[in-house]
Amino acid sequence: MSGTLSRRALVTAACAGAAAALLPKTAGATSPPRVGEVVTGDDLPAREASWYKKLPESRVECQLCPRGCQVADAERGGCGVRENRGGTYYTLVHSLACSVHLDPIEKKPFFHVLPGAQALSFATAGCNVECKFCQNWEISQFRPEQVRSQYLPPETLAEIARSNGVRLLSATYSEPVVFWEYVRDAAIAGRRVGVRSTVVSNGYAQEQALKDVLPLLAAMKVDLKAFTERFYRELVRGELKPVLKALEIIKASGTWLEIVVLLIPGQNDSEQEVRDLARWVKANLGTEVPVHLTRFHPTYRLTNLPPTPIPTLERAWQVAKAEGLAFVYLGNVPGHPGENTTCPGCGTQLIHRVGFQVLDNVLSRGACPQCKRAIPGVWS
Amino acid sequence: MKQGYTRRELVQLVGFGALAPFAAKAHAEPARHPGRVGVAKLPPPANGRPLEPAAARAALEAALGAATGLGFGRDAIAALFRAGDTVGIKVNSLGGRNLTPRTELVDALAALLREIGVPAQRIIVFDRSTRELQRAGYAIRRDGGGYLCYGIDNDYESEPSTSGEIGSCFARLVSTTCTALVSFGVVKDHDLSGVSAGLKNLYGLIHNPNKYHDHNCDPYVADVLNHPWVRDKLRLVVLDGVTAQCHGGPAWRPDTVWPLGAVATSTDPVAADAWAWRVIDEERKRRGLPTLADAKRPPRFLATAAAYGLGVGDPSAIREVLA
Repeated sequence: MSGTLSRRALVTAACAGAAAALLPKTAGATSPPRVGEVVTGDDLPAREASWYKKLPESRVECQLCPRGCQVADAERGGCGVRENRGGTYYTLVHSLACSVHLDPIEKKPFFHVLPGAQALSFATAGCNVECKFCQNWEISQFRPEQVRSQYLPPETLAEIARSNGVRLLSATYSEPVVFWEYVRDAAIAGRRVGVRSTVVSNGYAQEQALKDVLPLLAAMKVDLKAFTERFYRELVRGELKPVLKALEIIKASGTWLEIVVLLIPGQNDSEQEVRDLARWVKANLGTEVPVHLTRFHPTYRLTNLPPTPIPTLERAWQVAKAEGLAFVYLGNVPGHPGENTTCPGCGTQLIHRVGFQVLDNVLSRGACPQCKRAIPGVWS
Repeated sequence: MKQGYTRRELVQLVGFGALAPFAAKAHAEPARHPGRVGVAKLPPPANGRPLEPAAARAALEAALGAATGLGFGRDAIAALFRAGDTVGIKVNSLGGRNLTPRTELVDALAALLREIGVPAQRIIVFDRSTRELQRAGYAIRRDGGGYLCYGIDNDYESEPSTSGEIGSCFARLVSTTCTALVSFGVVKDHDLSGVSAGLKNLYGLIHNPNKYHDHNCDPYVADVLNHPWVRDKLRLVVLDGVTAQCHGGPAWRPDTVWPLGAVATSTDPVAADAWAWRVIDEERKRRGLPTLADAKRPPRFLATAAAYGLGVGDPSAIREVLA
């Protein structure tokens, strides 16, 4: 056995430890695995998945994401966290959190959701795409038995949040779509104790699965990775079109929506692509949806590119605003004016941020105190 | 220092000198036999009984001899491995007790390796997880016995490594521990890749095989094989075809299993799979099932592997040598 911990093991161990410290004292031995118990290896608690259909010859078709994996007996879907056992499809990650943290909601980023609030953020292993620039690949690109996870049922998550005065849950870090049943049940449990739920996702989900859970969510943030199918095909192993469809579904549902676009040098950062994206958002989602343009840092399998130059971000910021989007932000550039919320009506600075910190918030009942223009969002 | 030599000493010296470059080359690059697949008969015992160890050994030796053109299995093993090697034998235990390489055949291969001087402690039979090996009937051993046997479990490289389209953390058994590899698979149909024999078995070397099942696993299977850690270390493929499965894989499905009654070996990993494709399609035709190509799951990765120069991927171009 190795005497040292890998970076991945260290990260997941630290996360599990952090969650244990937050556990209410009542959490203890119930049924196996025990609440809070660290689960590793092959002993994964399996629950029947909610979105799939059975096919002949013990095969199943997953109906969670647009991949629509048809999975033979004893095999898993592309996400690596769902397994066909004798013709029944199981999720292997329900209640198995591999990362749990208290984060400022600005870190997701949500800039129009309870500014300055903390969110109890959680994730399981697995993802339905493979972004070559994934920041969290050490959990998203692994199978649940390969990471250290903690058994935290939805009720426990909700109780951790409530008992610590945390107003939000946030499914994030890896890809919540692959642990959608856990997201759903955590949102239900949270509602019962007055804790609202948010999701940070790639938006690569099938329509019905989205519609089933959206009413339970206060907000959803979608990573729109680029505005070309080429990018999605080559760097994401996914497709753009279903993500655009998902954005429309989320917007139509009334659940608060914010969009993040990670600008990667030479890949998706041309002025034309940013313009096309902004025009699509304006035409299909409206001008009030916040769009965060964030800075890329080399990681995972995309280490041969430099960080996004600040001038590139600033040009994109100007282009998106010029197209008529009311709330365009810059991300991963702490201290930049692009982090602040400004009234589109009169130009008053409404929320002053540095990094994930809210330094000042002059919003008055969700409106600009100067011109009274309503600022959309979840403010109370 | 000796000033003179007898004629016999001189002949010996010249002989050694002349042979030395070949010997060194043989060690550096074990003999390959492109397109050649050695096949020996090994009927399944009646009533589901285990194989007779002697029969398993004889069949394996015969197949090795046929695959290499060397008369005896031990000579074939000696041509492929060195006493100083650490040999990893990757078995495919996904199919459980009924569709996993039989331990009698694995025992026989390990015995041959020991006979050429590879210590038991440097023969490692492995698969993805210890649990899967146990379920398939393997005795887990981290010390003692004729070979070690355990799962990769979570012992992967900490950073991903790229080969073609794949980006994966490889098992440290492959990257670091082993100097030589054997892919010891079964002969079975696969729902997505078409064939799961010696090459699909290699998916068990990477941490994220679930990412690479699109397009009949092409080019991904070939990309795993083409990674230097695999390409340069894989010396031999052995396929347990005592019973085989022509449909419904990768899980065991009793109604599509048939008694192929064979053990196949090859130093050409691509040809071994091409052979498996051929016998699976022959059985499918006998049963009135569509061929794998007609079922829209031909093992496309074989043509890709062949294009990479890793072996012969056309089933009609391989040479089956019956022992």
